[in-house]
Amino acid sequence: MKIEVASISGNKEIAKGIWKMDFDCPNIANNVLGPGQFINIKVDPSWEIPLRRPMSIAGVKGEKITIIYKLFGRGTKILSELRPGQSINILGPLGNIFTTSDKDSFPILVGGGVGIAPILWMHNELNIKSVSHILIIGATTAEEHFLQHNPDKNIFLTTDDGSIGELGTVVPTMESKFKEVSSRSFGIIYACGPTPMLKAIHQITTKYKIYCQMALESYMGCGIGICQSCVIERKNDSPEEDSYGKRFSLVCSDGPVYSADTIIL
Amino acid sequence: MVDLSVKIKNVEFANPVLVASGTFGYGNEVSELVDVNRLGGIVTKSITLHPREGSPPPRMVETPSGLLNSIGLANIGVERYISEMLPYYEDLDTNIIMNIAGSSLKEYITILERVEGTSNYLSGYEINISCPNVEKGGLEFGVDCDLTLALTKELRKRTDKLLIMKLSPNVTDIASIAKAAELGGADAISAINTVVGMSINPQTRKQNIFTGFSGLSGPAIRPVGVANVYIIFDAVDIPIIGIGGITSADDVVEYLLAGATAVQVGTANYREPGISIRIIKQLIEYCEKHNVTTIRELVGAIRDED
Repeated sequence: MKIEVASISGNKEIAKGIWKMDFDCPNIANNVLGPGQFINIKVDPSWEIPLRRPMSIAGVKGEKITIIYKLFGRGTKILSELRPGQSINILGPLGNIFTTSDKDSFPILVGGGVGIAPILWMHNELNIKSVSHILIIGATTAEEHFLQHNPDKNIFLTTDDGSIGELGTVVPTMESKFKEVSSRSFGIIYACGPTPMLKAIHQITTKYKIYCQMALESYMGCGIGICQSCVIERKNDSPEEDSYGKRFSLVCSDGPVYSADTIIL
Repeated sequence: MVDLSVKIKNVEFANPVLVASGTFGYGNEVSELVDVNRLGGIVTKSITLHPREGSPPPRMVETPSGLLNSIGLANIGVERYISEMLPYYEDLDTNIIMNIAGSSLKEYITILERVEGTSNYLSGYEINISCPNVEKGGLEFGVDCDLTLALTKELRKRTDKLLIMKLSPNVTDIASIAKAAELGGADAISAINTVVGMSINPQTRKQNIFTGFSGLSGPAIRPVGVANVYIIFDAVDIPIIGIGGITSADDVVEYLLAGATAVQVGTANYREPGISIRIIKQLIEYCEKHNVTTIRELVGAIRDED
């Protein structure tokens, strides 16, 4: 964990409201462990926006880190106005990672909204390792997608309005793939996205008894386990009356990746 | 050479910049990022008798130049504090002040006695009195002079270490609470704790914090903190530790001029865990620029300017 002033090398809108930023930050890049980890970016030099903004890492190449972020509020608006050559203050790398699967597990990767960053990175990592897998990315409409729908390469896009790829959420597409994949192996699901999407994914993976890891989004104050604000409830059959960390887990330092069956969304 | 040192009771602080309870964990979490030995001191996260899970989420929301939080005193409890944290503090070269929270007079006493009974390197205790007293129908200790006096007296009997009462701004007359703490034998006053606030999402028509009411901190409350320190300075003779929205040396000087002997940096730590180190450097620059030989000459000095 380090704080580094990074130099921005690229920052552009790659789909409607979806931005990609690259920056050089060797000290942090060299310490990144893998998909799931995030960085915490100081967006506002003034104190009008007091908190950093946590952003999932979408990839690391040498000393360069890539993030993909969705325009959401004032913080991300400020980020989107930064230009190559300008610098930003980064804290990271933070959090844990998806545990990688063996070659036989035939993973399905599911991402939506701002949750596409770690999923895309996982997709690229699996490609490098020649692990066959399926990628499913959901969005409201075609213009929010920046990948190509390509069933031949096991890349499936979904849209709520059917303007590209499969009509509907990621869930029906997942379910149809489960049936194909489960005939080949047990599979494993890696998911990241908004909570309603993760809830739906958890339901379907439970139904098909498929192991699922999720990278959670959370409102964070510090990103390093101090403010205690980014809690998620653990599944705990025997809660203790006096305890700390048994019922609530800190997404920033215990997560953001959890086995879906260990948490209550 | 500028002298930044201050003394409260018999405790020497190399500089007047401490970090506030709840904004720096137990001090070990950030040791990778910050040389904590350069701080004037660390006030550790509120410790209760038993471990506490804290409140369900959402626990925090950003507001203009501030933060609302209601963490619900999530903490490891006094026994783990003694076994896990106290040994770590032995190796540190800064003042560690333990913040204590209780739900009854007895609970505060039990915690303090438990820690006093161990060999420890603590410089003292800061007492969070913004806690509901279950024995008095949930009335907060810190809003009642008699409760504050009784609590301070009982704790004073049991320790010779630095005893600091941390006051809430959510009272009608903070001067009378400060006087009660002084009368009870407190060595210093910390002011202020967070300001009661609330935030509602107009789209979902729900509270943005699970518990509804929560505590506002950050630069948004700095003027409230400065005003309260000013009021307390005129009411008591014991030193004041100013808290609320400090992000720079200028902010520190503002508090000192109003009457603080030292300060605590709080919310700013969430964004920049090392900000206090930078503030200490800036303080030296301020003093050099303004021909201040000892930082102590600034304490309460706004009155000389009036």
